[in-house]
Order: sequence, then structure tokens, then C-alpha cells
Amino acid sequence: MAGLESEGKPNLTPILDMVFQLITFFMVVANFKAASIEKDLQLPVVGSARPVDTRGVESLMVLNIDKDGNLRAMGRRQPVREFIEQEANAVRLAGHLEFGQELPTLVVVRADRETRFRDFNRVIRTCQEFGFRQFALKTEPPGKKRASGGS
Amino acid sequence: MRRRRGHRSQEEVELNLAAMLDMAFQLLAFFIATFRPAPLEGQITLRLPPPEARTTQGTQPAGENVNSAEIPKGLKTLVVNVFSDGSGEIKSLSFGEENATQVETLAALDLNLTKIFGDPTYPYEQVILQVSPSIRYERLMEVVDVLTRLKVARVDKETGRTVWSPLSKLSFVEAAGG
Repeated sequence: MAGLESEGKPNLTPILDMVFQLITFFMVVANFKAASIEKDLQLPVVGSARPVDTRGVESLMVLNIDKDGNLRAMGRRQPVREFIEQEANAVRLAGHLEFGQELPTLVVVRADRETRFRDFNRVIRTCQEFGFRQFALKTEPPGKKRASGGS
Repeated sequence: MRRRRGHRSQEEVELNLAAMLDMAFQLLAFFIATFRPAPLEGQITLRLPPPEARTTQGTQPAGENVNSAEIPKGLKTLVVNVFSDGSGEIKSLSFGEENATQVETLAALDLNLTKIFGDPTYPYEQVILQVSPSIRYERLMEVVDVLTRLKVARVDKETGRTVWSPLSKLSFVEAAGG
């Protein structure tokens, strides 16, 4: 009769071990920068563009331009000039750079394939004005199927 | 009866794992909710300086002689024109300025530019892409793709050998009209 008290208790150790394994997995693959990517943009397909992992690049600024020419960053519509100026000032302050010096930040431009050149060029010129020189124009690799239907 | 010294009652120390498991589940739920795999995307990396003066007159580069009243020499520029009729599609493709050479397709543009940049005696210092404002971004990227795949030939002054490098100076300019 002495052993009856311990019979009903589940052993939580293996469950805890599995949970820690799962936590470790999700911590390793966590990518908070992916939150800055607007998934509803349809990027142009370019044959020679190759997937490049920009995770090693320390300083990135992701700009999404939708087909109406609106700049979207951090999930919200942003005024072009004010947003880019704000980001440039932050980079300059962090890197102790003088105004007029080239900024080391890589500007990642994700524009919809229907975006007009005037809207894209406005963003590029504003970035150039504030010292950005390095740009990465994102495309879809050829052969990638899109899950959502669209025009 | 007194208990013997040294005989200790066996006290079982139980670790309450329920609380720790609860916290672990909280953390797991957080990481699952914020898990967002980055999409696989290609990219074209460019260095885009602002377009510089491209006058063909002048004798010396700007800034060389502050006392000179001469017109400073601009950069040798190849202009590639991409014009639309307002629909967003490419209506005409050409390169050059005064006597622009028209081409029908991107493949023809690629062929011509490969010939130009493959000759070290035509050392263009910058390429300006002059584009109609209504051109669709997808069409623009097709032209940019052609330009970024070009290899520019230069003669190394020290060794005298031909060195190939990708096009490094590309600028965008918005053309007037549609």
C-alpha cells in the first residue's frame, strides 16, 4: 500500500526536455528581420539574379514599394523623405559619420513588378541624397511558384 | 527509543516541474507565434552614385585647378534610353546620345553593349539609364539585368593585360514625357 501514492504522478522530465528542444530550435531559426518584408508584393522575375543571404550584412534598410508607389516599411506606409532622412540620421549617429560621407548601409529595395519607374526613382534619388550608395534590388528567382493567385 | 545518530530519515526532495514546464510553454508559444521564415529571393546588387556631369567639352577634371575658368571635363558617359508610350511596356530601346542606335530587343542591346564594353579603347566612365517615368519596374529590371551582366574591359597599366570587371557605375535618370 505504500507505493500507491506515487503511481498516479506523470513524469514531467521528458516533456520538459522535448519542450526545451523545441524552444532551442525556434530560437535558432528566429528571424525578426523577416517582419520587415511585405509578403503581398509581387517581385519581378529576373533570370540572372541569385539568392543571396543578407543575414551576414550588419546594416540593412528594407524598403518595400507597392504598385501604387507607396513606401512601406515596418508594416506601415511611410512618407518617403522623412523616413529615409530619419534612417540616414540614425546611421550617421551610430557610425559617427559626417554629413556628406557615404553611408555603409545596404538599402534593400523590394518593389512590386507593377511599380512605375517614377516612384522607384523617387525613392532611389532620396536615398542617394542622404548618402546611401549600396543598393540591393530584390527579385524572385525564376521558376518560383506563387501560392496566391493574382492579376 | 532514540534514533541513532547518523540515521537520517530519507526525505525525498521533489522538484516541482509543473511551474518550469508552464514557463517553457510560454516561451515556446512566443517563438512559434513570431516564427516567420524569410522568403527565398534573388537580388541584384548595385552601386548607384548620383549621376555626374557629362559634358563632352572641357579640358581638365573638376577640382584639379581651382583657378581655372575653363569648363570642367565631364565623365565619358554611355546613355541607354528606355522609352515607353505610357502603357508601362518598353516601346523603344536605344543607346548613345546624338546618334542613338535603336535596337529592337533586349538581346540585341546585350549584344551591342557587350561589343562596346569589350573593347578597351572605349573607356566609358559611367552608364546612365534614361527611363520613361511610366515604365513598369519589371521591364526596368530586365534592362538592369542586361547591364549588370556586362563585363567591362580595361587594360592594366602595370601589366598591359586586359582585365575584365563588372559595370560599376550606373545611374538612373527620369526622361521627360510618358
